Amino acid sequence: MNLALKTVLKSSALVAALSAPLMAQAAPIPTNAQMDVEFEIPYIKASPYARPYVAIWIEDANRKPVRTIELWVGKDEWLKDLRSWWRKVGRYDRELVDAVTSATRTVGEYRFTWDGLDDSGQRVEQGEYTFYAESVREHGGRSVIRQKLNLADKAFKIDIKPAVEIGNVVLTYKIK
Amino acid sequence: MIKNNKMKAAALACTVFAGLAVSAVANAHPRWILPSHFTVSKEGGDWLTFDVTASHGTFVFDKPAGSESAQVLMPDGRFERPNFVIRGKRRSIFDFHFSEEGTHKVAVNNEPSYWTEYKAGRRDTVKWAKASKAEREMLLPEKARDVVTKISFTRAESYITVGKPTQKALEIEGKLLELKPITHPADIVEGEEVTFQMFFNGEPQKGVTADITREGSLYRNHQEQIEVESDKDGYIRFVPEHAGRYLMRAHYSGDLKNHPLADKAGVNVHLTFEAVLQ
Repeated sequence: MNLALKTVLKSSALVAALSAPLMAQAAPIPTNAQMDVEFEIPYIKASPYARPYVAIWIEDANRKPVRTIELWVGKDEWLKDLRSWWRKVGRYDRELVDAVTSATRTVGEYRFTWDGLDDSGQRVEQGEYTFYAESVREHGGRSVIRQKLNLADKAFKIDIKPAVEIGNVVLTYKIK
Repeated sequence: MIKNNKMKAAALACTVFAGLAVSAVANAHPRWILPSHFTVSKEGGDWLTFDVTASHGTFVFDKPAGSESAQVLMPDGRFERPNFVIRGKRRSIFDFHFSEEGTHKVAVNNEPSYWTEYKAGRRDTVKWAKASKAEREMLLPEKARDVVTKISFTRAESYITVGKPTQKALEIEGKLLELKPITHPADIVEGEEVTFQMFFNGEPQKGVTADITREGSLYRNHQEQIEVESDKDGYIRFVPEHAGRYLMRAHYSGDLKNHPLADKAGVNVHLTFEAVLQ
């Protein structure tokens, strides 16, 4: 066997060996998987009290944002004050911002669901992700919470420790 | 006792006077520019305001540096002049409406100046004249010795990003000392390493020294100044430990070969940037 052919065979064997586990990981999360989010805006005694700006998003294992789930803001002038979210997501995609923005909310408990799709509507692949919530209040403080997630075919429920500007957050990953 | 104090005072006065005479040339107050914001997210753009002054404290207003020469390098590479330039006693200000998406470079750069140092008289007194190599023959006494002419130039700069960061405004022009951000100025985050590259006349320059100080030094016991020097490829690396506004003062001194107007260069870049929260 000549050397060139040997090399070709070797490298194709290598490619096959490497791609096999990758292929296994590349499966999307189950079609009926979703994540319910319970999210609390805590009561803060402050004068003046302004409703917080809130961004909630998911990043993949490479810290690349895959989906902005909720964005509660006032004027777009203040989008930049959600420092992390603006740097990672907002500044790159004005259309996305316009599509996901909704009004700010007051103190209380909220529930919403992430359908497991990324910003372009594709079901995300199984693997490690991070849940982010950033909350910023005018005349007030800023809190960021991060929670690692393993999204696969196993259901889970996680209570995230509250921060100053973010109350109780419970994530429930369900395979219906 | 009284006599002694008088002597001390006189000696001190002399030292201070000598110090002032030298500092006017070699150690002038660093000029810098301070933007009100570094980031714009408002659709349709927003007005930002800039303070320009010269001082030894970080973002402490001291001397009235003018901002009449201020210019904004737009994301597409063209220059614009700012609106509403005002000069006060201890600072000048200007405002500019940022509406084009991308990264802008804002600079207040004066023209390069030339200073000739020479020795004259029986006691070898060191003297200075504001003259380039071309002008100095006319000005210097016949018996001037150890004549050296230095070009002096400082860039006072900052970067503003509207929406998505872009690269065009980060390019250098190839003249004297310049800083090229390798870490994009809109991506400087507390606790993360920053890389800048220093150039002299368009070539990466080793041995550029820089000090980097966060605002608020009046209200802490230690300067917490970061000191770095560029490596053989001109790279400077450092980690801003805290979010905040920083002033970086980069300096380079070196000989000039075959320059018609100067023998040496003493050049600076004073960059104002923000490190954002994680």
